[in-house]
Amino acid sequence: MAIEFKPTELMAICAAREIRDGEVAFIGTGLPMLGGMLAKATHAPRAILIFESGAVDSRPTRTPLSIGDACLVPGAAMLCGLAEVFGLFLQPGHVDVGFIGGAQIDRFGNLNTTVIGDYRAPKVRLPGSGGGNDIGSLAKRTVVMMKQDARKFVPQVDYVTTPGYLDGPGGRERVGLPRGGPAVVITDKGVYRFDAYTKEMYCASYHPGLSADEIRKNASWPIRIAADVRETKPPTVQELRVLREACDPEGIFLGGAD
Amino acid sequence: MAEPEVHDKLLPLDEAVRTLIPDGCRLRSCGIGLRKPMALTYELIRQRKRDLTFILSGWTEDADMLIGAGCLRDLEGSYLGLEAFGLAHAYRRAVEKGIPHPIRIEEYSNFGMTMRFMAASMGLPFMPIRSELGSDLLRVESFRHPKAHVMDDPFGSGAKVALLPACPADVAVLHAQRCDSDGNTQVWGQLGDDLWGTMAGKRILVCVEEVVDSKVVRADPNRTIVPAFRVDAIVHVPWGAHPYQVQGYYDLDREFRKMYAAESRTLEGFERFLKEWVFQVGSHAGYLKKLGPVRLKRLKAKRMLSGQVNYGY
Repeated sequence: MAIEFKPTELMAICAAREIRDGEVAFIGTGLPMLGGMLAKATHAPRAILIFESGAVDSRPTRTPLSIGDACLVPGAAMLCGLAEVFGLFLQPGHVDVGFIGGAQIDRFGNLNTTVIGDYRAPKVRLPGSGGGNDIGSLAKRTVVMMKQDARKFVPQVDYVTTPGYLDGPGGRERVGLPRGGPAVVITDKGVYRFDAYTKEMYCASYHPGLSADEIRKNASWPIRIAADVRETKPPTVQELRVLREACDPEGIFLGGAD
Repeated sequence: MAEPEVHDKLLPLDEAVRTLIPDGCRLRSCGIGLRKPMALTYELIRQRKRDLTFILSGWTEDADMLIGAGCLRDLEGSYLGLEAFGLAHAYRRAVEKGIPHPIRIEEYSNFGMTMRFMAASMGLPFMPIRSELGSDLLRVESFRHPKAHVMDDPFGSGAKVALLPACPADVAVLHAQRCDSDGNTQVWGQLGDDLWGTMAGKRILVCVEEVVDSKVVRADPNRTIVPAFRVDAIVHVPWGAHPYQVQGYYDLDREFRKMYAAESRTLEGFERFLKEWVFQVGSHAGYLKKLGPVRLKRLKAKRMLSGQVNYGY
């Protein structure tokens, strides 16, 4: 019998799967936190989770509500501040994988978390960069997590808060970014990766119950579908159990209240 | 011989806000996700401060309330949202509809803001960073012209950097765990951008949970982040960061933050919140009384003491 799960649960699980054992992972608020905790509790016990408020190698025993949550402190290996975490670890290239969220993304992975509409007269004012731009600019690779519909997957974002590959191959190099770029986009519909040559996003897998057609409907450019596209590997019993019981027992981020 | 006790920096909250934070000043707040100077924020609203420029890397309810109450004209920063509790709706109303009046915001990234504070702290005109390149953070200006300058490494490495201007404050506010009566101020837990941000203040106002004997501070000087000679005023304000956390003192008040997130969705709800939790309570003491001892007791931190180190030599 198939296991029941929520889209948010699959997203957190997909995020966890992107962290390899021993990697340094830079974690943002929300589902990435659950992904990091889940990875550590399952296949990546030696992963190092760092948070921009200054906590290094945190081992939280409850669900952190923000990147500054005091529960990230007891048991951490080191506490410092934003200048140190960004300046000493991220900027010189010691962070393997960074997690960021977005409201709008385009086919080259450029991300907008600033405004919907015209900057001077926006339809919706969003929170802005926070550390998102820094993580997406300086981590060796970036995992983007967001909800998907045709208004969020757009040909051109209204504001480039965090560069993906900008205008395509060589885009990051031309503006002087030292490394990195989006490696994967995880949405409630599927998992997307980037072509090594064209730097264009393609659908690598659609979530159980959906189809390639559904993916096309939820993007407003003719999105490429991988020739070997498949269904996203569903959550295992163990992944779901750890996620629900240890990472977010109260359903703060999984609960679907968003 | 015992040192004379110096109490002249210790001010009541209302007096500190009245004398140190005039209308139109550049005010630096503190705390990313915790240790926010909320008692002081409420007092700014009660005193109906106007035309402040508010600077910080990451804002949450603090900036949202000040915007909604009409206290701010300009902001320089990076993030304004309610974290896990959603978007900041007073901010949205101001930007999208000009309610209660339009504001201007100059945006950088978190790292960018911290480096701007570092520049100001160190007496430098700017600092270089390697993020923000290629983004609209560098391209779209609001009121700083130019807000940044991209250049090639003059020493020939081929690297590009974005130079960001120093971000000094007229007054920097730091909510800290404790200080002594001279103002030697100690913080533990995550520091966020508070070290560099506080030092970017021409004047520094510390709000503390506890004023302790100087011996306590001097027995553990590694924990001091601001020495007394940089501190202009001390406000002793226990629970002054509620509904946020202060490591070792209290946890966040999730229900309160949820309530604000829900109320502030509408203008009426936001005004109801201000009336009930800022104006009618009249003071920080009134605010704590309204919260009540049962609620505060529930938030009180568990004891998780640090180990001790040997400072001997």
